[in-house]
Amino acid sequence: MSNEPVSLYLDPQIRDWVLFPITLVMILVGILRHYVVIWLQSSPQKLSRPAIREQRALARSQILRATAANSPVPPSFYTAISRHLSQAFEAGTYLKDGPPKTDAPAVPPNPMSDPAAMDGMMAGMKTQMVMMVPQMVIMGWINFFFQGFVLIKLPFPLTLGFKSMLQRGIDTQDMDVRWVSSLSWYFLNFFGLNGLYRLILGNDNAADSSRDMMASPFSTPMATPGQVQDYNKVFKAERDNLEFAEGIYCWIGNGVEERVLGRYGKLSQP
Amino acid sequence: MAPSVAHALETLARYRANNTRASQETFLKGAELLKSGAAAKLNDEGWAFIEQLMLASIDIGRLDVADRCLQQLADKFPGSSRVEILQGIRMEATEPPNVVLQYYDKLIDADSGNAAAWKRQISVLRRVGKVETAVEELTQYLDTFYNDLEGWLELADIYSSCNLYTFALQSLSHALLLSPQNPFTVLQFAETAYSAGDVPLALKMFLSVIDMDDESTAQEPPRGISVRAWYGIKLCSRRLIRSPTASASKTVVPKNLNKIEELATEQVLLSYRGKDGGGTLSQDIARKWMSSS
Repeated sequence: MSNEPVSLYLDPQIRDWVLFPITLVMILVGILRHYVVIWLQSSPQKLSRPAIREQRALARSQILRATAANSPVPPSFYTAISRHLSQAFEAGTYLKDGPPKTDAPAVPPNPMSDPAAMDGMMAGMKTQMVMMVPQMVIMGWINFFFQGFVLIKLPFPLTLGFKSMLQRGIDTQDMDVRWVSSLSWYFLNFFGLNGLYRLILGNDNAADSSRDMMASPFSTPMATPGQVQDYNKVFKAERDNLEFAEGIYCWIGNGVEERVLGRYGKLSQP
Repeated sequence: MAPSVAHALETLARYRANNTRASQETFLKGAELLKSGAAAKLNDEGWAFIEQLMLASIDIGRLDVADRCLQQLADKFPGSSRVEILQGIRMEATEPPNVVLQYYDKLIDADSGNAAAWKRQISVLRRVGKVETAVEELTQYLDTFYNDLEGWLELADIYSSCNLYTFALQSLSHALLLSPQNPFTVLQFAETAYSAGDVPLALKMFLSVIDMDDESTAQEPPRGISVRAWYGIKLCSRRLIRSPTASASKTVVPKNLNKIEELATEQVLLSYRGKDGGGTLSQDIARKWMSSS
């Protein structure tokens, strides 16, 4: 291509009626979405006492184990707590619905059958819908009305590799890469408006849509708080950990007198 | 914003962060702020300040101010469970206990996982003398919310007040697990163990307090919590030398008891040394007191 290619002349009306509207609509939709998500957010679910107890029972043994190697608790107290927890885990005292029946089927609970878990999933789906639907509508709108439009010329040259990024929707081999098509402008906004939202709405806004592309309501089972866990199994596994911890248990009071005497220089004297 | 107002706000924020219960000062500063209308300008912090002022004014008996604050909070956050608890605290100030207990019962019925209401209920129960119910509720509470350090210390306190030192030790051991870095809990454990008659265990725990205190050296006189711990060591070691007692927790008595006793005597006396080598009189008194019976 020559150094000075035939320059395209863009109608200022394209700027006024296509470029600005697309940008404005995307910003406004992002802000609207932020408020819709806030409105949709259900207050965190209130758990009943047995449920809280079940959820936090594991923390008890974790706290006990955390300091096992240098435990502040004397041996008799440590073993008492440890044995008690171990027995309780074995018997299933901490389970929400009481100790399990002996012939209960050993299948993990189905998340679809637990209404509490279902609610959590629905909440995720709802926000997901709010994320996806407007973007689909906008994309359809741009594709329908402005397909093949060239909206803007970048003020700096770029290599040919950017062609697919900047000229989506236009299949012209020899157009300068600096021209940006309408669909590409949409994508640039889609990924690039987060900084603007942060300026308008504060730091943890829900307007940024590109972030949600990563998250799906199903793919991250550990992150959702309403996830069903088979606590019976978890407790049984924790029993082994407790036994290990009992093995490495060492009271901080062991030999404390030597340490203190040594620090005050009394130990070396005969 | 005037500098004095900014300064007052800063002080109050520090009180909030450190959980200081300086109610009189909080009230004086807060009333000033309320008059100047500075609280309205702060958004989120302002509400925390109003809550703080409300609790402080209940503390010093200015219920009119408390009512005004509560009204503001209730208008701003209708249906908030935190405001409901504040309402309960306000009721505790004037209403008879059974009315308050009913109020908390209602809150707990609506949401059985309401920890704050549960705790308030337990505190009211203890105050009106229903210690048995209080202990029962508190153990249940701690079984659910295990990591409530305050709750374990309260339970230990209740048991100690009923002379049930073994139970108190058990609750304190949970408290130790939850805050293994806090020498005050260790000291309390040691003193409770001494009260329970487990002198070897008490001695070990007193020694642990000294062991945890990084700043003390042989030259510097012990300060603060260490003085108390040294007194405890002295007390335990002397008792063990005179009449070795069995330990309920099967704690082994340290071999070099005499050395420990010597060191404890030295350290206690050192703490009475005074700044410029004076204080011989108080040292003499301490020496006499320690060697008597």
